[in-house]
Amino acid sequence: MTQRYILLVDDEPHVTRVLRLALEKAGYAVTVAHDGHEALACMAQRVPDVLISDIQMDGMDGRTLCPLARSTYPDHDFLILVMTSMTALEERNWARELRNTEFLEKPLSPRQLVARLAKHFATA
Amino acid sequence: MKLNRIGIVLIASALGVIVLVVGLLIVRQQDSRAAEVRAKGVALTRSLSNVPVKLIDGSGPGLSMLNTLFAYQDNGDLAYAAILDANGRTLGDVAGRGTFVPAAPLPADAATTFGQRTLPARDGARGLIEFYGPLADRSQGQAFVRVGFHQPGYAVLARDVSFLALLALMMFLLVPLVYVVIKREMAPLDELGRQLRQLGDADIVRQDSAHDVRELVGNMQAYLRFASSRIAQLEHGSLNATADNHVLQYGSKKLTAALQSLPDGLLMLAPGGLVTFASDKVEPLLGIAVDDILEQPVDAWCRDPALRTLLGRYANGQRDTLHAHSVDFTPANVEGKYLSATVQPLAAAHGAMAFGTLVVLRDVTREQLARQAGNDFVAHVSHELKSPLNVIGMYAETLADADAGDETLRVESLNVIQDEIERMNALVGNLLNVSKLETGSMSPERNRVRLDDLLRDAYDHALPRAEGKQLRVSLDLPRELEAVAIDKDLFRIALNNLLTNAIKYNRPGGSVTLAARNEDHEIVISVRDTGIGIAAADRERVFDKFYRVSEAGAKVARGGHGLGLYLAAQIVELHHGRIVLDSEPGTGSTFSIHLKIAPAATGVVTL
Repeated sequence: MTQRYILLVDDEPHVTRVLRLALEKAGYAVTVAHDGHEALACMAQRVPDVLISDIQMDGMDGRTLCPLARSTYPDHDFLILVMTSMTALEERNWARELRNTEFLEKPLSPRQLVARLAKHFATA
Repeated sequence: MKLNRIGIVLIASALGVIVLVVGLLIVRQQDSRAAEVRAKGVALTRSLSNVPVKLIDGSGPGLSMLNTLFAYQDNGDLAYAAILDANGRTLGDVAGRGTFVPAAPLPADAATTFGQRTLPARDGARGLIEFYGPLADRSQGQAFVRVGFHQPGYAVLARDVSFLALLALMMFLLVPLVYVVIKREMAPLDELGRQLRQLGDADIVRQDSAHDVRELVGNMQAYLRFASSRIAQLEHGSLNATADNHVLQYGSKKLTAALQSLPDGLLMLAPGGLVTFASDKVEPLLGIAVDDILEQPVDAWCRDPALRTLLGRYANGQRDTLHAHSVDFTPANVEGKYLSATVQPLAAAHGAMAFGTLVVLRDVTREQLARQAGNDFVAHVSHELKSPLNVIGMYAETLADADAGDETLRVESLNVIQDEIERMNALVGNLLNVSKLETGSMSPERNRVRLDDLLRDAYDHALPRAEGKQLRVSLDLPRELEAVAIDKDLFRIALNNLLTNAIKYNRPGGSVTLAARNEDHEIVISVRDTGIGIAAADRERVFDKFYRVSEAGAKVARGGHGLGLYLAAQIVELHHGRIVLDSEPGTGSTFSIHLKIAPAATGVVTL
């Protein structure tokens, strides 16, 4: 079985650094993109099994990226995890309309993320 | 004397009036008597003409009818009655005492019509009126009847004399009454006239002239006073009414002026809902001209559903009319305004008199913006605190899960955690300072100092952070700096914030220069970097609270919290200085603080 492929999108280097460490340790292949444009470029190379994206980013933000990723690859039913904080409640509505999309509450625990992914791939 | 003449004229005219009245009365009585006689004569003649001749002429049994007539006549007017045949022969007659039937031939028309004629008086007797006509009974041929009446004489008026005398007396008695009234009213004029005559006489009697003139003048004045007091009395009433009216108008205008000068907009609605008053302030608040509101129902001018609903409820009496209700809304015609409308019933005497509804419109834009800013502040600070906490949490977890041998990861984690804690610390410190500044509890203790040491301290403090980012830092000071009056601790915060920005927004291999120089009356402290620079659009707002330069396209270290420059500017302002930004995007920025040189004085403290 090939390694599961995770695309991690965030412009916060500390966050991507820590999450990448945790995910690689859990046995996933991880690519980090710093904004939506980079992420779409990475997806063109290889469509991920899970897309994890922050919302607020310089360049193309998560709100633009996620629907675009869905519509660009309609045949791929990859999971989208959107990292958001409680303060951005009104930000959530757009994501509800996207298929197979869920939220990850900030502050994000790497352990919880790994557990969430394990559960996802177990049921998949 | 004038008054006596008036009396005579009055008496004469009274007598004239009496004569006229009595004369007219007599003439009228004469006329009515003549009419009476005529009516009697015609009636008697016609009655007799229908009676058979036998009954009249005395040839029948008993008294003839003519005798009966005379026996029962009620007055002495009837002079005679006679029956004649066609030849003028008397068939029978009767006459009053002292009279006889005059021998006057009948006119030609007597055979066919009834008529009347006047027979002239004869030797002292009164004149006669005779009525004649044909008899209906022709048993003895054509016959005529003649009835004569005495002309009514003046003598018969004797019985009216007492009535006329009484009338004349009453009329005459009015004369003294009128005389007294005229005399009363004329008295002041009469007095004046007397004085004038005396003045005229004074030409002859000169020794008294001065006295007379004085008296005359005095009397004239008295009269004028009397006249003017009468006029004043009349005018007083009218003046009072006018004055009351003016006072009312004045009060009303004063009240309107007070209402107009209130900072809030006022509307008054009649009980039916028509607007009866709208102050000028309403116009800028609602964006509707006052003229479009006055005398209009609410639905005609109100574009704001919230206000319209509330007013509608008052107009329909749905609300408890004893209480005021408020509604906050954004006026449809004015952008960026928040209004609070308070609607309350206008009543007096505990609700016994209702004048309608009062609407007070208050501009609450500032309050609303302040509330908004407060909310934004909390959201902003929460977010600023949450980001480092997020990172710290993740690194702590990583640290806990890390393999014991992974020394690199351990060091990295600890460094990040330390950095983030420092960042939070700076944020909280600046927040506290801002709070102190804004509440006014931070009062600068200004001492006259030389800045050299303070600048060196700041430089030393910035050095390690800059070197960590491969930046060169230089300090450029003249040999001697003039003294300034500042609060050292506050000023250190401002300098550190400027240096922190210069390091943070720089690029690897760049430089930061802290310099100071003397100018005419100022010391200029500048912090120059070779960083990303600040776009023109941002320069104006860069000192605003929480303002952060958009970092699009620039890959820089994590942004600040939008308080550093705000705080620096506030501190400089507190020292009556100014802060100037000079920047070129892509090349770098220079922040310059201009401070006034403290006047030379003894005991300069060098720090």
